[in-house]
Order: sequence, then structure tokens, then C-alpha cells
Amino acid sequence: MVFKKYIIPRFIQYITVLFIGITLVFIIPRLLPSDPVEHQLNRMTAQGQYLDPAAVEEMRETLQELYGLKGGLFQQYINYWKRLFIGNLGPSFTQFPTPVVELIKISLPWTLGLLLVSLMLSWVIGTMLGGIKVSFPNSILAKIMEVLAMGMRPIPYYIMALVLLIIFAFIFPVFPMAGGYSMGAKVGFNLRFILDLFRHAFLPIMSMVVLEIGGWFLQMRNVASNVVEEDYVVYAEASGLPKLKIIFRYIMRNAIIPQITGLALNLGFIFGGALITEIVFSYPGIGTLLYSAILAGDYNLILGINIFSIVGVSTAMLIIDLIYPLLDPRVRYQ
Amino acid sequence: MSILEVKELKAYYSTEKYGHIYRVRAVDGVSFQVHKNEIYGIAGESGCGKSTLLKAVSGLIKPPLEILEGEVAYNFDDKILDILALKEDKQRRQVRGVRISHIPQGSMSVLNPVRRIKKSFEDIVDAHQKIKDRTCFDKMVKTHLEALGLDWSVMHAFPHQLSGGMRQRITIALATILKPDIIFADEPTTALDVIVQRGVVQLIKQIKKEQQNTLIMVTHDLAIHANLCDRLAIMYAGKIVEEADVDIIFNQPKHPYTLMLLKSLPTIGDKSIRASAPGAPPSLIHVPSGCRFHPRCPEATERCRKETPELIQVGEGHRVACFLEEGSK
Ligand SMILES: Nc1ncnc2c1ncn2[C@@H]1O[C@H](COP(=O)(O)OP(=O)(O)OP(=O)(O)O)[C@@H](O)[C@H]1O
Ligand SMILES: [Mg+2]
Repeated sequence: MVFKKYIIPRFIQYITVLFIGITLVFIIPRLLPSDPVEHQLNRMTAQGQYLDPAAVEEMRETLQELYGLKGGLFQQYINYWKRLFIGNLGPSFTQFPTPVVELIKISLPWTLGLLLVSLMLSWVIGTMLGGIKVSFPNSILAKIMEVLAMGMRPIPYYIMALVLLIIFAFIFPVFPMAGGYSMGAKVGFNLRFILDLFRHAFLPIMSMVVLEIGGWFLQMRNVASNVVEEDYVVYAEASGLPKLKIIFRYIMRNAIIPQITGLALNLGFIFGGALITEIVFSYPGIGTLLYSAILAGDYNLILGINIFSIVGVSTAMLIIDLIYPLLDPRVRYQ
Repeated sequence: MSILEVKELKAYYSTEKYGHIYRVRAVDGVSFQVHKNEIYGIAGESGCGKSTLLKAVSGLIKPPLEILEGEVAYNFDDKILDILALKEDKQRRQVRGVRISHIPQGSMSVLNPVRRIKKSFEDIVDAHQKIKDRTCFDKMVKTHLEALGLDWSVMHAFPHQLSGGMRQRITIALATILKPDIIFADEPTTALDVIVQRGVVQLIKQIKKEQQNTLIMVTHDLAIHANLCDRLAIMYAGKIVEEADVDIIFNQPKHPYTLMLLKSLPTIGDKSIRASAPGAPPSLIHVPSGCRFHPRCPEATERCRKETPELIQVGEGHRVACFLEEGSK
């Protein structure tokens, strides 16, 4: 039953989102007035190289092939999907002939690390604090948290990142300014290197955690303050259950269900935030890769990262949505 | 002997809006006694403060509700317990569920939606007796359920899988598993259909008979009071206006409000349209001066507008708050 009523529709939705998103990635660049092939050729001639017209023509052919711009629009579209299915996003042009997939693979662990750690920390802390705020509404901690969260929430990712960078890397150089690890550090599984990694990741992670805690805190507070009014919580109070049990098993346990949905809903936004934070800290992840690709006009790489992000974020959302029924018996048994 | 004695209890809701504090005078100077083993009914229109009175009396006080004055004394095994004087929340918790138990209004949603029924039973038993032996716990619950005519299989269900009537029975079973001395039932039959209602009333009667506890029954359904209660208090706008044995209330009511309530009751064979109580209950933020009922009272005099009548004894166990009675005495 769950399978038919919940999982299958959710899966169809997933496929549809992927299809539309990836198709948009195909269409949008083709609507732009600039042609990457001409752009590339112009750049070569501008560098003063002399090329005879036949060679230019041949070059144009090759480039079109590599960019997937050969043939009619429909033919291009078919080829585009064909290449996607075998995991081929074409070569990068700034680092020719390294395939785009290869570049993404190198950057991915950095982004994943940043994203997962900050997401976990902020979600868990924000959710707990929200629960505490509602369970002990008059405590000083709760009141301070509330003011902080309200004030932090509207700050954009890059401002937060810049502020931390300026304070803790520039004015007080406690943490490094940029990069994923120190120049010339020996890469390996040893304490020294791990500490170095940690030192570099600290500020980017903090800037995301500090911002996101506020969001999770406020959402949890709103949901939980409604749960507290629910009859089952009042009844638990009337039955003399211990306070801690009421907080965890009655209030938090019920309020956490929308927090999980929130995770799926906000994932895209948070992913975007991670990319921006990386750029500010020159962290060697997908964000920085995308930034340099845009600066260098590396068309294939930009498209590749876009496609990859769409697939990655929607898959993560799908997984979260599939976990959700395990937490809510009302969905599980319907 | 009385098991519960409430003296001059005042419980208000304070809410602040744009810097102005509003006080909802939901319970405003209420005194009554409940005898051991009796069923004491409280009736009154919606919003007159019945649920608030129960909350205050069972010590379930949290903002915006606050107690301004008054005393609530229980007598358990000849020990007097002033529940409002208990400083520590923990001490109140020890009484709730074991000594005092509550069947709350809106019983449809009193079961935690993400917990199986068995867990709810475990929670309450464990809170007061620390479950050491599983089989012993199972047996205890099983006997209790059987006595109430409930099947053990419901224990593995989640609340949403059960019908409203079933959920209500389970709530009653939960509220009585620890054999409390006194049970507060707040509208336990509202929102149930008539057949299920009768079943629930039957169930309550049966438990009462077996466990020999005291029951305070709140409902606006006078038919249920007539059927179940020994004594009945009529509440109006945060005050008790009349209190007597059920027979006396139904046969010789004194207060004009009680008369009005009874007039709105249908009787068998009578096909005329019943007069519903004219007017609306007053706001408890801006209560009328003098007797709170005077704007709706057919017999209101100048005095009723200015002075507040006390609840006075007019006969054996019969108390009324009305100047008409004072005059006739
Ligand atoms: N949390 C609250 N904050 C402010 N006012 C409240 C609150 N709860 C109840 N009130 C007000 O207190 C008054 C008494 O409410 P109460 O729930 O005790 O009435 P009741 O007699 O139980 O009514 P019903 O028959 O509808 O259950 C009402 O006017 C209500 O609006
Ligand atoms: Mg009520």
C-alpha cells in the first residue's frame, strides 16, 4: 500500500524533475546569443595565431563535436541524453582533455564533506535548541537563542563567510585564508594532515552552521510550540509523566517529522549556500570549480556541474522523502 | 467525608496584546466540596470555565493560566494535600495519574500519534511504578482491559487506526489503570454518537463501581448528568450559581439560569420547539457588573446590576447564588 500510494508517485515526481531540469540545462545555453565555438575560435585568433581557413573549419567541426553542438537541435538533444547515460559530460576546455566528470569527481568529496558536516551540525543543534526553547520558554538560553536566530536568519551566505574570513583569518589570523589544506602538506592518512584539513574546513563549516542553526531553530520552535498545545501533550502532563519523557517522546518526536520534510525542502538552497561559501574561502570543491569554469568560459564544465547538481540534490531529496514514512506511522499504514 | 475541598479559587488567563493586559476571568471565586465516592457533575454553557476549573483543581497550571487566589485541598488516606501549595512541579507529577487522573476534553487526540497504544500504557505505569517485570505489566494491563471489555490486540495499534469510540475507551482505560482516587472527566462523551456515548457512560459507571473512586464529571449534556451524577453544580461565567443533589436540580431548581437551561431540554412526547437560552454568555474579559447573569435574567432588579450575590445555603445541601432566594429566606 505504502509502495503504491507513496513510493511510486514520489519516484515518478523524481524522474519528472530530473527530466525537466536536465532539459532546461540543454535549452538555456542554446538561447544565449554567444556561441561557445565561435568564442573559442575568436580567442585563438585574437591571441595572434595564424590559422588557414581550412584548418579553422576543421577546428570548428571538432569543437562542435566536443560541445555537442553538431547537427539539428533535435539531433543534439538525442545525443545529449545518449552521452549522459554513459556518464559522459565531455571534456573540459580549460584543462583539455580531462573529462568534466573527472574534475567533478576530484572536487566532490570536498563539497560533500563541507555540506554533510555543516548540515548535520546545524540540523541537530538547531532542532534541539528549538525543542528546548519550547519546553523551557522562559529560560535565558531560550530567549537569547531566539533573538540571535531572528537576527542571523536574513544574513546571506557570502556576507557571513566574508565576515568570518576577515575576522578570523585576516585580523586575527587563527585560521588559514584559503584552500582545503596547506600548500606542500603531505597528503595521507595521518593526524597531522587531518588536523590541517580540519583547520581549513573550520571557517567554511562554521559560517554555514551559524547561519543554518537559526533557520532550523525557528522552524522547530514554530512546529513544537503547536505540538505543546496538542491534547496528547496536555494529557501526558495530566498523567504525571516525567518532564524529560514528555519533551523527547511527545513533543520533539512529533515536531521532528516536519523538520525532516524541511530538510528535503531546503536542500537545494543549502547546496547553493555551500557553493558560495566555497568560493569565498577558495575551498577546492564544486563551488570553486564552477566559479573558475564561469570565469574561463568553460562551457562543458558549467553544464556538467549543473547537471550533476540537479541529479545530486534531487536524489538526496528523494532519499529523505523515502525515509519520512518510517518516522510517521500515519503515512506508513495508510 | 470530602475528598476534595476547593475554596475561593480564582484562575485567570492573562494575555498581553499591544502592551495591554487582558484577563480572562475563567474561574472567579469558586468553592465546592466533593465527597468520597460520589459522582459530582459540573454543567454550564460552552466557555463558562468548566475545563479551566478542572485544570486548576488538578494543578495543571501553566501560562497563560494563573491562579490568583484560593485553595485546593485533597484528602488522600486522611492526609491533606494542598496541590496549589506544592512548590515543586515534580511533586505534582507524583500525584497526577495515580491519585488524580484526568480524562481530557477532546479525547479524540489525547493519544500520541507516533506511539503504539501499548507504549502509552507503559509510559504512565512506568512513570509511577517503574516497570520491572514485563510479564507482570502485561498481566496488569490485560486484566484491566478485559474488565473494560477491550481486546488486547488494540495494544499494537497506532491511534489513527482506531475508531473515535475505541480511542475514547482506551483513554478511559489509560486514565484508570493505576486506580486513581479521583477522576476528572472533561466532556468524555462529546463528539461521540449516541450509541457510543451510552457505552462510554456505562464504562465509566462500571469502573467507578469496581475501583470505588470519586468522579467529577464535566459536560454541558444535562441528560448525562441526570443519568450519572449524585450531585450537580451549575456554572455561569466563571462562577457556580447553583449546587444540589441531581434530583433537586431537576425538580426544584432555584436559580433563573438553571431554569433556563432546563427549559431548553427536550422531554419525551413534547413536540413544541424548545426555547433555547436567550442571549449569549458574557465575555469573561469584560464581565457584567453585579450578578453576571443579570443581562439575560428575566427577573433582574436594580440590585442585581450593582451587587454580586453570594452562594448561600437554601436547603439541605442546596446552594444558590441569587438575590431572589436571599429575599425569600
Ligand atoms: N489558553 C487560553 N488563553 C486565553 N483564554 C482562554 C484559554 N483557554 C480558555 N480560555 C478562555 O477561558 C474561558 C473558559 O474556557 P474553558 O475552556 O474553561 O470553557 P469550558 O466551559 O470548558 O467550555 P467548553 O464547554 O467549550 O469546553 C473561555 O472564555 C475561553 O475563551
Ligand atoms: Mg471545556
